[in-house]
Amino acid sequence: MKLNRFEQEMIEGRHGQAAQWAITYQQRVGDFFDAEDFVELRLIHISTDRETIGDSGVAFIEELAALPLHERRPRAFATADFRGFDTEAFRFLLPGRDLSEESEEVVRGLGKLGIVTSHAYVNDHSVTSPGFGEVCGYSGTPSVIYMNSIVGARCNFEAGPSSLAAFFTGRVPRYGFHLDAHRRATDAFRLDFQPVDVSEWGAVGAMIGRCLNSYWRVPAIEVSGPPPSILDLNHLGLCLASYGSHAMFHIIGLTPEASDWRTAFGTSPPEPELVTRSQLDAFFAGWNGIGERLDVAPLSTPQLTLTEVIQVAELLQGQHVHPDTTLLIYTPLEIKQACERLGVSAMIEAAGGRLVHGHDFFATYAKEIRETHGWQHLMTHSVKMANICEGYGYTPVPASIERCVASAIAGKIHY
Amino acid sequence: MGSSVTEYRGHQGIGPAVRGMALAAADDFSTRYDLDRDRGVFSRPSHTLYGESYIGRILVLNAAKGGVASAWMLREMVQQEKAPLALLLNNANPVMAQGAAFANLPFMDRFDTDITAVIRTGDVLYVDPAAGVVRVETPLT
Repeated sequence: MKLNRFEQEMIEGRHGQAAQWAITYQQRVGDFFDAEDFVELRLIHISTDRETIGDSGVAFIEELAALPLHERRPRAFATADFRGFDTEAFRFLLPGRDLSEESEEVVRGLGKLGIVTSHAYVNDHSVTSPGFGEVCGYSGTPSVIYMNSIVGARCNFEAGPSSLAAFFTGRVPRYGFHLDAHRRATDAFRLDFQPVDVSEWGAVGAMIGRCLNSYWRVPAIEVSGPPPSILDLNHLGLCLASYGSHAMFHIIGLTPEASDWRTAFGTSPPEPELVTRSQLDAFFAGWNGIGERLDVAPLSTPQLTLTEVIQVAELLQGQHVHPDTTLLIYTPLEIKQACERLGVSAMIEAAGGRLVHGHDFFATYAKEIRETHGWQHLMTHSVKMANICEGYGYTPVPASIERCVASAIAGKIHY
Repeated sequence: MGSSVTEYRGHQGIGPAVRGMALAAADDFSTRYDLDRDRGVFSRPSHTLYGESYIGRILVLNAAKGGVASAWMLREMVQQEKAPLALLLNNANPVMAQGAAFANLPFMDRFDTDITAVIRTGDVLYVDPAAGVVRVETPLT
């Protein structure tokens, strides 16, 4: 990689130990992907959920935080998410383990480094947002695909240590989605139906992701009917990332780099492949567990918006969650507090549901939670969560929020 | 019994050279989606390597999938001595490369052939990421 004078000085250790580690590490990654040089940035998002980073990650962050400021000078604005553990919820989910204290270790270390700790998903509830075309260094895959596709900012997956490195150098290697050539569509799809909810949009992302299955392929999708909402596109995107490792998509006539087919591809587009309602039905029918006892229904991934939490409360009105089933509704701390002020929390609790803040079911010891409670069958409106929890030993079923809540009331998985 | 050495070339990779036994399948790979990291085995029932121990093996798989988690997790696995010896993929994504660089785990991708089609479980491999070379030293017969 070509280095300018400042970057060379960082490698030599003249701008602090943290920057020296960071740029050396970034250079190895940049070389791996044939990056020509670095590109500067302003905004970073660091993924730091406690399960993922492990004890070694905590120790690494604490080691950096113990350096004097001139050795660890920040060179960008960074937020981190997922760390606001809900003490009461965790006493129930994993009794005997103080996850709040464990996560506080991370929060303290990140805070000392100068990272702003927010409890929300960055893409839904922004502290600050990049502009169109701006280079950024976001960590969570849903955030990256959102920034590339919907905002038109430029970002690769910059996973935890990678975005932490960018925090100390103020730059990232220029490869992948920083380059025009990689942002153009590679594959064309046309929906012959209008998805009716976020689960169906997630399923569309899952099907296309399974089909293409490469970080370097960019699907362009033509939809009919009214334009999808940002939340619909969020579920589409995070499932493309989850099932296919994609970091960018285009919706023809809607997303900012796809005003038409030719613009999306930068050349004549291929004939689109049709995605049909019957394929969608087959996708949902492909999960086992219909008619089985429902053990747990976590509604998260992403955490629910205020209007979604209210929707769940209304579905529960006059009903009660079955005693064999645990209904978990995840939302950011600020929205949970709003729900308390609105009386929505009380409605959910009266019906036997649990409103949980500040983390995500799949990202927080889901395997250990399953073993602790002896849970097997899981139902969620998040098609991404279903994908992940299968690997944690659950038998998951993705379905709409309405079906999840109805099943939680019935105590078994409804079709 | 064959004993000839076959060599495959990939893109220049990450980490030190190693020698070890392959654990191979045509499936994709994610540390979060596919592994029980406490037991060191594949835990996704639909994965071809379900139930297999990956500790100390050279994993040979198709594409990196899923999200951010692998970048932190690979280093934790290495430090707990519950990691594969090396990882060879047809196609990496940035997360897996960032994780391998953070963990100093030998890692390569972009081979001149479908690496999952030519390497079999049990093959003894010499992996030299800096040279971009994988040698099958003792093919399973």
